Amino acid sequence: MNRQKVQRRVGKYEVGRTIGQGNSAKVRFGKNTETGESVALKILDKQNLHKNMMPKQIRREISTMKLINHPNVVRLYEVLASKTKIYIVLEFATGGDLYGKISKLRQLPDGRLKEDEARRYFQQLINAVDYCHSRGVYHRDLKPENLLLDAQGNLKVSDFGLSALSRQAGAYLDLAGDGLLHTTCGTPNYVAPEVLNDQGYDGATADLWSCGVILFLLLAGHLPFEDYNIMMLYKKIIGAEYSCPAWLSPGAKNLIVRILDPNPMTRIKIPEILEDAWFKKDYKPAVFEEQDEAKLDDVEAAFKDSEEHHVTENNEEQPTSMNAFELISMSRALDLGNFLKKKRCASKTNNAYGLKREIRFAAIGAANELVQKIEAASKPLGFDIQKNSYKMRLEKANAGRKGTLKVATEIFQVSPTLHMVEVRKTKGDTLEFHKFYKKLSTTLNDVVWKSDDTSDKTTNERKTDSCL
Amino acid sequence: MLAFVKRFSLKRTKHPRGYEDPQVLASETPFTVNEIEALHNLFKKLSTSIINDGLIHKEEFLLALFRNSSMQNLFADRVFYMFDRKRNGVIEFGEFVRSLSIFHPHTPEHEKSSFMFKLYDLDGTGFIQRHELKKMVGALLSETDLGLSEECIEAIVEQTMVEVDTNKDGKIDEEEWKELVAKNPSILKNMTLPYLKEVTLAFPSFVLDSEVDD
Repeated sequence: MNRQKVQRRVGKYEVGRTIGQGNSAKVRFGKNTETGESVALKILDKQNLHKNMMPKQIRREISTMKLINHPNVVRLYEVLASKTKIYIVLEFATGGDLYGKISKLRQLPDGRLKEDEARRYFQQLINAVDYCHSRGVYHRDLKPENLLLDAQGNLKVSDFGLSALSRQAGAYLDLAGDGLLHTTCGTPNYVAPEVLNDQGYDGATADLWSCGVILFLLLAGHLPFEDYNIMMLYKKIIGAEYSCPAWLSPGAKNLIVRILDPNPMTRIKIPEILEDAWFKKDYKPAVFEEQDEAKLDDVEAAFKDSEEHHVTENNEEQPTSMNAFELISMSRALDLGNFLKKKRCASKTNNAYGLKREIRFAAIGAANELVQKIEAASKPLGFDIQKNSYKMRLEKANAGRKGTLKVATEIFQVSPTLHMVEVRKTKGDTLEFHKFYKKLSTTLNDVVWKSDDTSDKTTNERKTDSCL
Repeated sequence: MLAFVKRFSLKRTKHPRGYEDPQVLASETPFTVNEIEALHNLFKKLSTSIINDGLIHKEEFLLALFRNSSMQNLFADRVFYMFDRKRNGVIEFGEFVRSLSIFHPHTPEHEKSSFMFKLYDLDGTGFIQRHELKKMVGALLSETDLGLSEECIEAIVEQTMVEVDTNKDGKIDEEEWKELVAKNPSILKNMTLPYLKEVTLAFPSFVLDSEVDD
């Protein structure tokens, strides 16, 4: 059967598969329907943005990014906003990221980049950083995951000027406060000592430190600062305690030492790097034309939250929410179909559902966990699964006397941890459907409470203490 | 005229109290005479399940909905109350047909919406008040055996009040209700029973015959 896929759109962009998932942002593949051009859509929840996290400085930097058209910088085309989300439309880099490349190399014995190759990436990184800094835009979160590659293997730095959007303010401060690694923020391996000390820092020198860590990683194949204990890691970074592998060339070692200088005042500056002998080998300055005109009002508008500028989006990243009235309408007493429908033997209490084609139950837990659990429960039963965020279609050929059984499920959000799961038979034998439901509910036993019949009190009643 | 028909038919066929001529009911509802006759068969089953008097008592109503005549359920009480138009504690045949007609697929949406608003207006004040909504959420959650903390119920109610109570007077009036329904048509899902369109077709098996199998 040919099933028509729901086309998700945001403004003029078709939204495709998820290509990246960060702490507070998701990146999806997109296509400009006017030009056919591929883009990457960075999607941020407005509620995750701190109210005061968008100071003028950040807005100005994002605006500036629209003007930057550098071969080693991922282009920022435009910024869109809907009622709940911000969409940053970026150039799509087809070659993956440097992190992936290094990870693959690491699996090989002695796996690391050749010095010339590492140098070429580093030169392109410095080109990008130098240019953006000259325009007053700082990265603040340089790491290999943000270093993308195009089809020709050229480096493209992503997320310039955007780091403040995706990082929670004070995340590093928190780390310093209780010494625990908070899973919500990234590892601080690339962060400069002065940032960790939170003494106010210069974006330019801090970015350079991160470039130094990246250069070390490219050449050595491992990070200069690593420790399972976060406090130890801090100590190492702040004291610049690292050791270069013996086989590093003296030129490379010398440059690393100059960059990984814990004192931002004495740390090497970009003009000096450009003059460094090791760096200069085979150096090609970037060739490009500057763009001097771009429409900038979208950036202001997107963050100002004026509704008139909202793009239309027809897909939610969140499950469809269910308000109190929709919740109430699930009461069995309000379904007068119970009067009218055929009923199977009422005395058979184990057949508690009166053979309905649609069953809804409440479940506690996060929506994506529920999706995973339904998936895990249905797969062993031989169902093919199609997922579309929180909607699923399950299909099992030759399930019963009516042939293929098709089931649709959807998860509705009542509160962040309370969801309603709807399980609906769309085709096939009702008895088979109920067999499936029984198996599903057994598998979901730890999250499901709802039983449809008063005679069925086998499920445990539990109390949850809070909504969050 | 109605009274006359009622008395007339009562005399002639010994119909119980509250019986009304299918012709009259058909003229007032989307049902045909045949369909009303089919509904009468259903009504007979429902109204004689406990007390054989041709009237649906609360216990019979609960038995039909839950297969349990002593079930305590706020919504069942409300539906019974809405069906019992004369407020005399029983559902007569005319009340049954007129109330069910609101669930007919051809009945205009605003009638369905208004019925549901009144059903949720527990105190009959013309508003769905915050405490009523909270009571209903609590009732639904206890129906599902889902133990949720007070704060959690409060949060669900608050979220909905913020969404629906647009003039922020702490209660939901009919205008706000209509806007809500326009935005969330699924709220009225229960108010339409497709079965009612094929009541005669469904008749042989749709009655409460527990032995009938497919």
